[in-house]
Amino acid sequence: MAARAELLPGTLDLLILKAVSLGSLHGYGILLRIEQISRGALLIEQGALYPALFRLVHQGLLKANWGTSDNNRRAKYYELTATGRKRLRQEQDGWNRLVAAMGSALDSEPEEA
Amino acid sequence: MKLPASLRSLSDALFRRRQIDGEIDEEFQAHLKYHADDLERSGLPRAEAERRARIAFGAYEKAKEECREARGTTLLENSWQDLRYGVRTLFKDRRYSVLAIFALALGIGASTVVFSIVYDGLLNPFPYKDANGISIFQIHDMERPGDGGRGYFSFSEFLDYREQNQVFTDMVGTAYTDALYSSDGGARRMQGAYVTTNTFPFLGVKPLLGRWITDDDGKPGAPPVFVISFSFWKEQFNGDPKVLGTVLTLNGEPRTLVGIMPPRFRYFGAPVYFPLGLSRNATDAKDEYNRPRMLVAEERRKPGVTLQAAAADMDVIARRLAKVHPNDYPKRFSIWTDSLASDVVGDSKPILYILLAAVGLLLLIACSNVANLLLTRATVREKEIALRAALGASQGRLVRQLLMESFVLAVAGGALGCLLAYAGIQIIAAVIPPMLPGEAEIELNRVVLMFAVGVTLLTTLGCGLAPAIHSMRANLNKRLVGSGKGSSGGFRHGKLRAALVIVEVALSIVLLAGVGLITRTFYALTHVNLGFDASNVLAAQITFPKEGYKTVQQRKVFFQQVLARITAVPGVVAAAETISLPPYNAGRSEITIPGTTHSEAWNTLLDTCSEGYFTTLKIPLLRGRLLSEDDVNSGRFVAVVNQTFARNYFPNDDAIGQKLKFNVFDQIEQTPHDAYFEIVGVVSDVKNQGLQDPPMPQAYIPYTVTAYADRAILVRTAIEPLSLVKSVRNEIWAVDRNVAFTEAGTLTEFLHRYSYARPEFGLVSLGAFAAIGLLLAAVGVFSVMAYAVSLQTHEIGIRMALGAQHADILSMVLRKGITLVTAGILIGLAISFAVTRLLSSELFGVSPNDPWTFSVVVAVVIAVGAAACFLPARRASRVDPLIALRYE
Repeated sequence: MAARAELLPGTLDLLILKAVSLGSLHGYGILLRIEQISRGALLIEQGALYPALFRLVHQGLLKANWGTSDNNRRAKYYELTATGRKRLRQEQDGWNRLVAAMGSALDSEPEEA
Repeated sequence: MKLPASLRSLSDALFRRRQIDGEIDEEFQAHLKYHADDLERSGLPRAEAERRARIAFGAYEKAKEECREARGTTLLENSWQDLRYGVRTLFKDRRYSVLAIFALALGIGASTVVFSIVYDGLLNPFPYKDANGISIFQIHDMERPGDGGRGYFSFSEFLDYREQNQVFTDMVGTAYTDALYSSDGGARRMQGAYVTTNTFPFLGVKPLLGRWITDDDGKPGAPPVFVISFSFWKEQFNGDPKVLGTVLTLNGEPRTLVGIMPPRFRYFGAPVYFPLGLSRNATDAKDEYNRPRMLVAEERRKPGVTLQAAAADMDVIARRLAKVHPNDYPKRFSIWTDSLASDVVGDSKPILYILLAAVGLLLLIACSNVANLLLTRATVREKEIALRAALGASQGRLVRQLLMESFVLAVAGGALGCLLAYAGIQIIAAVIPPMLPGEAEIELNRVVLMFAVGVTLLTTLGCGLAPAIHSMRANLNKRLVGSGKGSSGGFRHGKLRAALVIVEVALSIVLLAGVGLITRTFYALTHVNLGFDASNVLAAQITFPKEGYKTVQQRKVFFQQVLARITAVPGVVAAAETISLPPYNAGRSEITIPGTTHSEAWNTLLDTCSEGYFTTLKIPLLRGRLLSEDDVNSGRFVAVVNQTFARNYFPNDDAIGQKLKFNVFDQIEQTPHDAYFEIVGVVSDVKNQGLQDPPMPQAYIPYTVTAYADRAILVRTAIEPLSLVKSVRNEIWAVDRNVAFTEAGTLTEFLHRYSYARPEFGLVSLGAFAAIGLLLAAVGVFSVMAYAVSLQTHEIGIRMALGAQHADILSMVLRKGITLVTAGILIGLAISFAVTRLLSSELFGVSPNDPWTFSVVVAVVIAVGAAACFLPARRASRVDPLIALRYE
């Protein structure tokens, strides 16, 4: 198993938005999806997922509906709202810029400074 | 309908908390099952899979709480929690809570009640339209001391002022008039009023039934009408609405009833109102006899016109009139103006202002007390608050929680205060004396109640917050590690608290001193030696019909029969005729005594009476003889004088056998002119200028000397005097049905009404205040001392460990408390010495700085203060040094 990294603060929300952007999911599903898209590299405390979900719902970025899963179990499904989708795009751009900046900063050689 | 999200989550928070909790649980459970399913599929047994899923999930309850918080509705839920917590802590600390609620309630209740009285009685006592703009004016003789002067004007004079002034929107005139009517089989008299026809629109009070008096009613030849008061309607017509249009013969003239006024309208206290036209030549001959000669004026100032400006304008007119009628105006005069309310309340003003001041003090005491209690408690709870902060309670959360506690306290105190105010106003309205204008209605002033509640709430909330703010600023660590209670550095409230208590004690000294002085006054008044026996005496006014009883002979025949008949009634001991009722005497005359020389005028009070007068009132004879039956029957010019008369005017000679003339008789038509009376006896002094002033010289002459003035009768009874009112009245009507018999009552009742009621009211109300004030001050002393002791627990422990005895500790704490109390007492005494002079108009028989009263007050405050210190002191002396030292 690849070495796992602790999540940076604030990144969980972004990951959730990303995970849900591919289709509505229940909580456990979101967890699996994040593991899958990060190829198991990111460590998420399971219990901490839910407060984040509630917060995003409260902020109007997600909406939640009770539904029935394949094995006939009642579960709460989350999906992106329009605002959520917009926010995901912004955050993604911001994140990419940050990563690029951080990357070039960290890769630079001493004599260039 | 879709609720906005925030509203929805709010309602969720309030009503669906349990359901929401259930949903979170369900979601979490679903999560665990999915995970367990996955683990089971990878080959684990179900039980083990479920166990691992739980472990992987992490802190279940914490996540749940965070979810709840993340929903963003926790403020309300927290508030609810705070509320429950607040109630619980307050309940746990019952002694403190009861004290605080009690202090709040008393402050709110008492201040509201008194303000209501002052407002309704002094500031807004009339039901009239724009009553504050109504004023009166009088011609003040500048050679006489004091305020006021002639306040009545002849009809034409009144019209001159009304037409020539620039400052009034209108001016109305009123004159009392006797109104004789027949009822219950005999004549009755009442004091009706003529009102100028513009009066009712001026006052603006709509009649309850019918119409008010209009200008048309004052026109020459208009049919005679009258309007009656509500109480007269109830008494005389049993409140029958069909009486409108009834014709009643009043003063021998048939008049039609056109209107009934509402209950609160008691203008001039008259039961009936007659119209008086405003035009100068409106008088028709028939009316001439009844028509009032003198009017009392009231006027409404134009907007923006001050009393002074009005006086200046009236002054110009008055100077003009004084030139035309020099006899009606003093040589040097000024115009004196006053507002209607202040004029009517008049003498009662000082006591109302005193009460108002007292109530302000009380509210101040109550607020400082609550502040004190809260600050005290806050200090004691510092450690608890520091601990909560250390455990991660946010600042806002702590502040909210403390606020909620104060809020609970304030609401409880406020509610109880409202109850007290409602109950208090009922009691006060029942004991209120006739010192207020008759139309004033004392009712709870809701604005003031709100104000008082608001002030105390703010105090409570403000002071409740102080500890939170304080503990936020302070270094948590120091508070927790260091002596949690004692590190008093930084908390500056200690001195503030001591100052508050000193102020409270000082204020209660002032209040108590006032009460003490009024108590002494009341005692002195009720124990004045009247000089006669007022118990079991029935008194009543006799009014003769206007046309009859103009001669001495007619009156003599009447009274001889009436007095004989009354004396024969079972239960009657003696009966007599008189003009005035002691201890007041209306008649006054300058006298001439032949053979004496004196520069200043000699005056005497004068009463006419029948021979039974002295026995009826039990006035002892000192020398000579009393008036005999023969003196009275033959109208002999003889006089009995009182001791003061004999002493003042015959200091060296015997008064008996001397002659004197009553100069006033020379100026009155129906009295003997240039008549000299022989003094036949000297009786002991009777109070004749009211209770408070020493007796003036007084002379008693046979009532058969003159047919002047209306008369009264006095009846001494062996049984309850009021039970004989009907029989006495019937005896009078048996002699003549047209003679009115009014204002029957006992002498003790009159004494109470005119002499005792005001000091009694002052006593009751100030007494209640002082008691409340003292109680609050005691609470203040107690809370400060309790706080000081809790601060010093550590120090006391050390002292005891070093060998101090219980008694030492007790006296140490007591000494500290007494120091505070003494400081308060000294300041209070200083204020009292300055302030009680304001009371002097209400005092009698005691000086405003009476040392005895002040000593007793100081003793009471010391006793109460010591008692308030004693509980904390005893607690301090019981400190176990071991526990005290370890405790910190």
